[in-house]
Amino acid sequence: MTEIPGAREPSATEPLDELDVAILADLNEFHGLVDPPPSDLAERVRFAIALENFNVDDLGVVVSRLQDDEMVGSGARGTERSRTVTFDSDSLTIMVTIADAEPADGDGVRLDGWLAPAGALRVELRVTRDRSDPRGESYAVTADQTGRFVFDGISRGLAQLIVHPTPESGVDLATRVVTPSVLL
Amino acid sequence: MTADATWPGTTPVSPAARHAHLARCLERARAGDLGALDEVVEALTPLLWHVARAQGLQSDDAADVVQTTWLELLRRLHDIRSPQALTAWLVTATRREAWHTGARRRKQAGAGPELLDTLPDPGPDAEELVGRGERYQALWRNFQRLPARCRELLRVVAQADRPDYSVVSRALGMPVGSIGPTRGRCLAKLRALLLADPAWSPR
Repeated sequence: MTEIPGAREPSATEPLDELDVAILADLNEFHGLVDPPPSDLAERVRFAIALENFNVDDLGVVVSRLQDDEMVGSGARGTERSRTVTFDSDSLTIMVTIADAEPADGDGVRLDGWLAPAGALRVELRVTRDRSDPRGESYAVTADQTGRFVFDGISRGLAQLIVHPTPESGVDLATRVVTPSVLL
Repeated sequence: MTADATWPGTTPVSPAARHAHLARCLERARAGDLGALDEVVEALTPLLWHVARAQGLQSDDAADVVQTTWLELLRRLHDIRSPQALTAWLVTATRREAWHTGARRRKQAGAGPELLDTLPDPGPDAEELVGRGERYQALWRNFQRLPARCRELLRVVAQADRPDYSVVSRALGMPVGSIGPTRGRCLAKLRALLLADPAWSPR
């Protein structure tokens, strides 16, 4: 029996040949066209990992985003947009509502946050407006005893929250807690 | 001017040169220069995106999973000594994190544990494929006929550099001898389907 070229079942144990490499190149191109990563994903990653005082033993726990709900016109002013983002980890849950700042304060945003378990923990907010500046600016506040904290008049951009262990807070946090960056 | 200074540029460089460059960036990052990771992030983020999406995650979740994985890497940087070990670690970690996120989403939605096969495929709809040419349509049609496990493997491996094929296959939990030096079962199957499809032609 003669073998018809190309009709033979290709063997799984043969070495990769040029046709295999061409098929993989097509798959690469195809998925890159129909489902590319968000264009700013690498930038968001670079911002998230540009942490100050980085120390291998004290990176802390990374929390993941549990929920992200956008609401339009639900506030007292009717036209305001707000978004509630929940981050969750074994040691801490962070919930932040991001809303347009008062018009008088420009086009910034206001962040209202809650921590659970509640306590006067130190909360740091890193923001970058300028895409060429991965470090950005950093603001810090201390939550009240009920775990509430507020950042007001924050410029729009990429943001990341870092909650630091605070002995006097009464909350037993072994390491800092770091969120992925979100776009405000 | 060194080869370093031109990468990543517009001129394609060989996988070996890319590899050597990433090795130097990794070494600098391990020595404390975290800025050296920027190029590594640029180079490997698309691969990790496809790892997360191939697990059936929505875009926002997939993007978060990729970020979380890079953050977790910082803690592990000192244990990772070569670009191949880095790629393997990142693919494994992304896949595990994507799995956890997917499981949490399904729990939230009140559904039971589902298999990869039953998740909505994040692939393109038919309309998008029109105009992309017959070769792509045939590729997609035949790709869809593969088992979910093969689709995940091929989609992700195709995003890697050729010297990393076997390391990526292993990180995806495939046995040694899948795609790497050999063609492997999944690629053999897709190749057979494509060769039998008169609408498909190699480029």
